[in-house]
Amino acid sequence: MDRIFEILGELRKAGREVFRVESPVPQPYASVDPGHLRVELAAGAAAHLVVLHTEEGTSALDIDLSEGAQLELTELFLGGTFCETAVRQGARSRCRMTTVLLAGANVVYRIELEGADAENNLGGAFLLGGREHGVVKLHTSHRVSDCRSDSTVKGVAGGEAVGEFSGLVYVARDAQRTDARQQSRNVLLSETARIETMPQLEIYADDVKCSHGATVGQMDSDAILYMRQRGLSESQARRLQIEGFVGDIVRRCGVEPLGEALLELAAEKLEKL
Amino acid sequence: MENNMLSVKNLHATVEGKEILRGIDLEVKAGEVHAIMGPNGSGKSTLASVLAGNEKYTVTEGTVEFLGRDLLSMSIEDRARLGLFLGFQYPVEIPGVTMANFMKLAVNEQRKYRGEEPLTAAEFLRLMKEKSAVVELSSKLTSRAVNEGFSGGEKKKNEIFQMAMLDPKLAILDETDSGLDIDALRIVATGVTKLHTPQNATVVITHYQRLLDYIVPDVVHVLYKGRIIYTGDKTLALKLEKEGYDWLINEYDK
Ligand SMILES: Nc1ncnc2c1ncn2[C@@H]1O[C@H](COP(=O)(O)OP(=O)(O)OP(=O)(O)O)[C@@H](O)[C@H]1O
Ligand SMILES: [Mg+2]
Repeated sequence: MDRIFEILGELRKAGREVFRVESPVPQPYASVDPGHLRVELAAGAAAHLVVLHTEEGTSALDIDLSEGAQLELTELFLGGTFCETAVRQGARSRCRMTTVLLAGANVVYRIELEGADAENNLGGAFLLGGREHGVVKLHTSHRVSDCRSDSTVKGVAGGEAVGEFSGLVYVARDAQRTDARQQSRNVLLSETARIETMPQLEIYADDVKCSHGATVGQMDSDAILYMRQRGLSESQARRLQIEGFVGDIVRRCGVEPLGEALLELAAEKLEKL
Repeated sequence: MENNMLSVKNLHATVEGKEILRGIDLEVKAGEVHAIMGPNGSGKSTLASVLAGNEKYTVTEGTVEFLGRDLLSMSIEDRARLGLFLGFQYPVEIPGVTMANFMKLAVNEQRKYRGEEPLTAAEFLRLMKEKSAVVELSSKLTSRAVNEGFSGGEKKKNEIFQMAMLDPKLAILDETDSGLDIDALRIVATGVTKLHTPQNATVVITHYQRLLDYIVPDVVHVLYKGRIIYTGDKTLALKLEKEGYDWLINEYDK
């Protein structure tokens, strides 16, 4: 955790209330417990933004990407924050989002693809234990033609934790040639943990490529056995398997040492699940 | 007998209430190669699993001593750390877990168990490189996730690579030769031969003589209906290849 603060401490501060980026050269910015923050990327601007949520309170991110803007957004939840993130994307904009819940936060994403050829890519992971209750809601709207969205949210729940995922992909009548994918994949670590997943599609256009899927499974006991046969303890084997499951999401954040630091932090949490 | 590595006496085991092993006796000494053959479903993999400590199986009778220890009282991982290796008939895929990561933990757990310091990053990389050469496993594979998307042959090579990394006292190889093409069979078999020393022992479970052309067994056992019904020398494998099991089975079932 200290490592995360250290890394974020070296980044520029994203400021309070309104954070505006004009530069086309992406620089990494950080914001800790932003409260209500408006993020504006001017046409053609680019940025990396890392947002850390540690508090119990509410938070709202209002993100606006003008034409051709590119944002890499990483959000990390370490407290039971209630957070709503709204992303509006103009034509040809790109938004790559990573969201990692290491606590029972309640997180809502509303993604509006409003300009042609906009692209949104979201990777989410929640790791819940004890009596934590985490929620990820995702609402992706394709308002116009030729946009792409791809979301994968992976959930892990142990102890008596409860995880919820609900995802909706909405494709408006005129949003032809939409390419939308949504995946929810989950693993339960105990008999008493629960994960509910509800992926939905609402499609009004006829020329679209949409797919969605959801799975809830257990740990692979054959893999645990295999690893133990090579000398790993049961807890190491379990940890390695979960790390393998969520690792691609947790590690993918674009700011260099942060991905590994996040994985480390996630691994510490896994140890206790 | 001090060079006795493994001593199995009257081993009985059940799975889901069904008795699969019905009194196995087996003595393996350091420096020996044993082959276990037998028809499908006779209990070969079950024997390997029970020795490795798979908790799915319940031992109902008998004893197993390994390197002077009571094997059956040990956990799966402690058996492995002590020097027991099982090459799986069906190696398991572990998505997202790299071979390097997996092997680093495995090797260092073993070292810890033996009171040795963990390997440094450089030492570990050197070991990986040296041992992957034993089975001509490309570094592309060792940097991938464990067995994920590996071909059948690559999985079996990967088992022997892991065996090379862990340098076991006793390796039980369950049909490591199945599903291999001629070149892969040669590579895997030569790899196993290279790893064989007077200080360790190998038990190969196989259906085919062709593996035994490379790994010449000192003893060949036939397992049938959960018992070793016949034990012979290497010529037994040749005879079985030619004549099948009928002559033994008919005798036994009488
Ligand atoms: N988990 C299990 N549940 C039920 N039956 C089992 C289980 N494992 C093994 N068996 C049964 O035990 C018997 C022996 O199986 P085993 O896999 O040991 O045979 P094998 O000699 O290795 O066969 P093969 O040559 O086909 O690999 C079979 O009848 C099999 O169906
Ligand atoms: Mg078998």
